[in-house]
Amino acid sequence: MRPIRLACGVAAALLATACAATGTTTTPAPAAQETAAPGFLAVADQALAKGGTLNLQVHIDSGAATGYDPQLADVATTWQLLSLSYETLVTVGPDFGVQPLLAEKWDTPDDKTYVFHLRKGVTFSNGREMTADDVVGSLKRLLASKSVWAGQLGPVEEITKDGDGKVRVTLKEPYTPFLAALANVPAAILPMKEIDDKSVDPATTLLGTGPYVVENHRQDVSWTFKRNDAYWNQGKPAADTLNITIAPEEAARIAALQNGGAALATLGNVDSETMLAGAKDVKVVTQATTDFYYLMLNSLKPGSKLADPKVRQAIGIALDTQQIADVALGGKGKPTAITPAGLPGACDPAALPSAARSLDEAKQLLAEAGAQNLSFTLTIFNTEPAPAVAQVIQQNLQQAGITVKIEQLDEASWSGKVYGKAPAEFDAAMSWFAGYADPGMVTKWWNPETAGFNAGFMKPDPELSKLIDAANQQPQDRAKALADVCARADADAQMIPLVTRPSTVAYRADALSPSLYATEGYGNVLRLVADARVKKPQ
Amino acid sequence: MRLLMWWSGRALSSAATLLGVSVLIFAAVRLMPGGFAETVLGPFATAEQKAELAARYGLDQPVFMQYGHWLGAVAGGDFGISMISRQPVGAELLARLPVTAELTVLAVAASVLLGVPLGVLTAVRARPTGGGGLGRLVSGLGVSVPEFVLGSLVVFVFSRYTLGLEVGSWIPLTQDPAANLATMILPAAVLSVFSISVTARTTRDAVMGVLVEPYVTAAVGRGESPWFIVRHHVLRNAATPVVTLVGTTTAYLLGGALIVEHVFNLPGVGSYLVQAVGRRDYAVVQAGVLLAAGVFIVMNVLIDLLVGAIDPRLGVMAGRRS
Repeated sequence: MRPIRLACGVAAALLATACAATGTTTTPAPAAQETAAPGFLAVADQALAKGGTLNLQVHIDSGAATGYDPQLADVATTWQLLSLSYETLVTVGPDFGVQPLLAEKWDTPDDKTYVFHLRKGVTFSNGREMTADDVVGSLKRLLASKSVWAGQLGPVEEITKDGDGKVRVTLKEPYTPFLAALANVPAAILPMKEIDDKSVDPATTLLGTGPYVVENHRQDVSWTFKRNDAYWNQGKPAADTLNITIAPEEAARIAALQNGGAALATLGNVDSETMLAGAKDVKVVTQATTDFYYLMLNSLKPGSKLADPKVRQAIGIALDTQQIADVALGGKGKPTAITPAGLPGACDPAALPSAARSLDEAKQLLAEAGAQNLSFTLTIFNTEPAPAVAQVIQQNLQQAGITVKIEQLDEASWSGKVYGKAPAEFDAAMSWFAGYADPGMVTKWWNPETAGFNAGFMKPDPELSKLIDAANQQPQDRAKALADVCARADADAQMIPLVTRPSTVAYRADALSPSLYATEGYGNVLRLVADARVKKPQ
Repeated sequence: MRLLMWWSGRALSSAATLLGVSVLIFAAVRLMPGGFAETVLGPFATAEQKAELAARYGLDQPVFMQYGHWLGAVAGGDFGISMISRQPVGAELLARLPVTAELTVLAVAASVLLGVPLGVLTAVRARPTGGGGLGRLVSGLGVSVPEFVLGSLVVFVFSRYTLGLEVGSWIPLTQDPAANLATMILPAAVLSVFSISVTARTTRDAVMGVLVEPYVTAAVGRGESPWFIVRHHVLRNAATPVVTLVGTTTAYLLGGALIVEHVFNLPGVGSYLVQAVGRRDYAVVQAGVLLAAGVFIVMNVLIDLLVGAIDPRLGVMAGRRS
């Protein structure tokens, strides 16, 4: 009898725990996001005292395989961490406006020339003053490097010193995204004197002009940053110390927020906001980003029906990106064209040719291509919300008579399958791009001759490549040029843009008063961390 | 002489085991799907950058040569360089070992301090007609619930209700021992559930086996008190299987630490290995598995010595049994 009672007791306890869990996760009453100021999710309370230690948790460390060299950094997580110590000539303000940083202003005597007036009194964290030679050397080094960002700087013809305090950049032809490209970490100004005399190796040492200096870094464990006392912007940074813990498990980050172990954490799961609903003093905000998910259709796989543009167009028509945004991303993402939704000048995804076509038309295209019973495998990585997005895609395409088998792999296996061989062996795959801060920048990845990493599954479309180049060279009437790019990419459909990828940030309102932009182009949640005020010592 | 032969035999068999493990793990990491270059360098890497990476870590050489170089370096105490952090793997393992060791020691202590008394208690109180359903149910539950399920449940509950214990953070023992303990108790508890259950069950069976021995009956006949009998006659004679179990469980717990450290975000050897497998960081995976195999081997030797000390009939010097 006693074992039965015990079993009942254990079952009741487990049930109670499960009910408690359910009770906390099914309270879908997300509070309307507060608007601190136009373009901001939160603005740090400047009345609070400076100083203190800020404990942060992020899900992934920098991709340190290429070391700390900012010019070789190609992922947003690395930009986020390196931006604490390195700075660029210009930066991105709220709503993607380009603002001065190490250059206090710039002139554009013509549409191919930029003259940057360097800020005076800027020093590297070793105490040496930044010079025009550092700026010229840094940009030349970037252009000569194997960095993917060298291509984003555009057709630079010449970089010269124009007196002690000015740098002149001449382009071969007009290039609209130039300033936006200069605003990201790979274009950081490096201590070129020390790099040239080999007293500093940027792969192993962070020596920048930024608000923080690295005191300690253990890969995949933690970073400790101390304030740069010689920082040019007097009054910043507010916090003396930043402790950044790398916590891959979302549940551990949520727990640290709940118990005060972390004052701010980045979150990846759309359900995490609900998990934190009702948590005392924890605020959850969603930062809109220009990053977006996209579907890759391998047109180079021998014998694949996906090589036929009609089949790919049918898939594009059958996809309901609004449903993906609503169901898989909890309404936080937005449908997008290849110019990221939310960026000024981006195309309206509802105006794309495929958006106006019906499911019957998709079936008609499949019939014309002889692919009525089309079936293929969609290869995805197992990080949320990719599986949820894939499931909605599967259901969407089922309505057009297309059978999709989802193959879920760990990220390493996924990378190997998608990028490891040319031609690639997958049928279809899903990933996401950083969308950057100008609508023309990410469109370059639709040209496999520029973006070699796509050459294993994608044929160049000369017309699309021409339109992409034209849109980036055209300061006037750019909206029309970008609309042409979007329409052509929609018809090509080798990479189909889906929905934007929002970023969720949670912080302890009793421990921290942060500043956060409402939108972000370079995935940098910590962009304004130098402004953040610590409310109580931790 | 017999002792020397015993040690020589163990050393040879240990070396052979390690060699076998080294071949298996070296082959296994290279057979894993997904290339190291795409994972380590990311999708934007050019073919030239991938080739440079392969050359830097000797991965462009024939596999047999790679294995030979690696084995030679390991024999000299060099476990290689992590492709991700570009730091020596040996140094990072050493830095992380204290976390895993502390977690394991706490879990083993819980197993012994809770599992053994529980086993003795249930054995002594067992009815001649059988019974013991309670013990079986509890130990059955403990053995069946995987660490990642229990760990996730504990993280969830203790993130909603702090209850004085922390999850999601870790503080070094050297910095603040009390705060460190507050972050280590829950992971250790999750890790120890399996071993407590198995220890309790094994102790119970061992004690029940000894309780029916004639010398115990004689002690009862002499009028000795039940707890005197347990302390002086039962425990030592029942200890052999329990010690063997605790030893092997200790090595098992190091494996369980992989999951628990990851779930609780502890910077130990386990989480290092989990991340390394995910990123195809070959040198780290190879060194970590070799280290785990080494721990298993050392634990087995220690168990043999300890069992011999407890029961000389089973010891190293006991001679060959037919």
